Amino acid sequence: MGVFLRIAARNIMLARRRTALLGGALALVTMLLVLLLALSAGLSDTIVRSATTLSAGHVNVSGWHKLTSRDAAPIVMDAQKIRAIVEAETPGLDYTIVRHRGWAKVVSEATSLNAGLVGINYAEEGRLMAQLQLAPTSEYKDGGDDTKVGDFSEIARPGTAILFAGQARRLEVGVGDVLTLSTETSDGQSNTGEVRVVAVAKDMGMLSNWSIFVPTQTILDIYQLKPDTAGAIMVYLKDIDRASETMDTLRDVFMRHGYGVMDHNPVPFFMKFESVAGEDWTGQKIDLTIWSDEVSFLQWVVTAVDTISFVLITVLLIIIGVGIMNTMWIAVRERTGEVGTLRAIGMSRRRVLLMFLLEALLLGFFATVVGAGLGAAIGLAVDAAAIHVPVAAVQAILMTDVLHLQVQLTDVLAAIAVFTVVTALSALAPALRAARLEPVTAIHHIG
Amino acid sequence: MPAVVEVRGVEKDYPLGKLTVRALRGVDLTIDAGEFVSIAGPSGSGKTTLLNLIGCVDVPTQGSVSVDGQATSSLDDNGLTNLRLHKLGFIFQTFNLIGVLDVFQNVEFPLLLQGGMDKAARRARVEAIVDAVGLTPQLRQRPNELSGGQRQRVAIARALVTGPRIVLADEPTANLDSQTGANIIDLMKELNAKDGTTFIFSTHDAEVMRHANRVIRLADGLIVDDGRGAPRAEVPAPASPA
Repeated sequence: MGVFLRIAARNIMLARRRTALLGGALALVTMLLVLLLALSAGLSDTIVRSATTLSAGHVNVSGWHKLTSRDAAPIVMDAQKIRAIVEAETPGLDYTIVRHRGWAKVVSEATSLNAGLVGINYAEEGRLMAQLQLAPTSEYKDGGDDTKVGDFSEIARPGTAILFAGQARRLEVGVGDVLTLSTETSDGQSNTGEVRVVAVAKDMGMLSNWSIFVPTQTILDIYQLKPDTAGAIMVYLKDIDRASETMDTLRDVFMRHGYGVMDHNPVPFFMKFESVAGEDWTGQKIDLTIWSDEVSFLQWVVTAVDTISFVLITVLLIIIGVGIMNTMWIAVRERTGEVGTLRAIGMSRRRVLLMFLLEALLLGFFATVVGAGLGAAIGLAVDAAAIHVPVAAVQAILMTDVLHLQVQLTDVLAAIAVFTVVTALSALAPALRAARLEPVTAIHHIG
Repeated sequence: MPAVVEVRGVEKDYPLGKLTVRALRGVDLTIDAGEFVSIAGPSGSGKTTLLNLIGCVDVPTQGSVSVDGQATSSLDDNGLTNLRLHKLGFIFQTFNLIGVLDVFQNVEFPLLLQGGMDKAARRARVEAIVDAVGLTPQLRQRPNELSGGQRQRVAIARALVTGPRIVLADEPTANLDSQTGANIIDLMKELNAKDGTTFIFSTHDAEVMRHANRVIRLADGLIVDDGRGAPRAEVPAPASPA
């Protein structure tokens, strides 16, 4: 094998210009693939982080309450008891938090918008508070500057609210301004309440468009709910990858405790109103979801990036594959006489095949290692530089205002493996042709 | 001496467009072990075709070829490859060395293909044979750093390194000046005398064929003199132009 490697390596070095062009192209495409994979992984990571901060736990124990068979309220009754069951019987549990959910028309002096209300208990929301960042006034006020005003901890006080910059800009409000929340209670009556804006957070992509944080008590008051109710008990695990398995476990747990449990429907709670209202039952049922169910409507972003990447890389791979095949045809033609000599002195067809494949593999391997290494380095550098994304639409899609690339070793290794194999496969036809040459024809070949 | 090559009733046709060219037209030949044989004849007489058939790089259209007692028609491609690897050595008119390997590696290559020899034994064998052809100082040079005569010496060393029964050389001196060519033939003859390896080489150079112990003469695809006695076939005179 050593001598074949030596021949392959030296032949590659002999055709320097050809090797540089082909290897360079291969390295560039590999680099592009690694960067696109890092972008996709970064996007997924951001979605996971945003979703499990703003709108979902790793597993969500929520519920539906139906006073009549035709209505549907996203409420968990006896929340403390259910939370206690969750905390006692969830394997791999890290912690739980309780949130309340609502939907209201948010009215400012200038205008109004509809938004989801998220009732939080400040003392439990360390994870959320660690993620939120105060937005500079320039992000939501005409004539604003880099000054950051407000205090997230003020949300612990009753009658307060935290907005995101986009919402504050649309409502034309800032820290200290008062908003009116107008909603409908579960028995169909209109109700209103006032909240004071205590902080404006930097946008966190699409998810931050429709979430306004208020204290739990505000939700209870405006919807006239009993204290022992909740929107959802959000369950955080030590290992997010066990979310699905844990959801199944909790399903069995609640059924064992005599609760009605809804069939798994992997969509967010606000998309279930109509279907639940159409179901013929009354009372309380537990609804279990995992984090990805609650942001399933965002999955298209990752799918779109992955699809575009796949199409782009496939087209580039085909071009590179044709290039490699063409180069190997030329190499076989140039070295037909050598093949004849080698066959005459006793080299088998299999070894001739191996010799040419090895040459392609070697070129492919080194070019892809260089490309993948460059891609990984650029990806890490871009991520570390926290490059600001200036366009709001792109921020919404990327779920963040800074470019986040997540370089994963498995992606880098996969890129190297796939491209090396593609290189070898592209060289297969010319290598087979070389192996099938008749010695007498090959020896006397002039070309 | 036992026969190492037996050619019986061999014909060889080559398609050339819509025509068929008959390169050999019924050749019978026996070559014994240890002979130093020259196959002589003008261009197109069938010398290279006969060497190709004996060297198992081509198969006859008709007739049979046996090499060291093995009928080549009974062997598949792997069998023929093995026969070439273990029983035959080749020397080419244009040297045909592997350009990316140095002298040592070129000579070592057939041993690597054979396998079964450890590195130290291989090294000793290669160095001995390179020394025998007088190229020890050039051991680590690449073919493009050698003269024509030196390259042909490397080719001889490569052909002999596996200890073959027969070495076939197609016009081994054609690309060399007369003095270098004579030296190469002398070297081949010396190795033939020393190891008893059978050498069969083609040439149309009368000076070169004087060195052979036996000269087989070909004309128009027939043996006209097998070098052991009377001419074997009458070659028809070319037709006069009308």
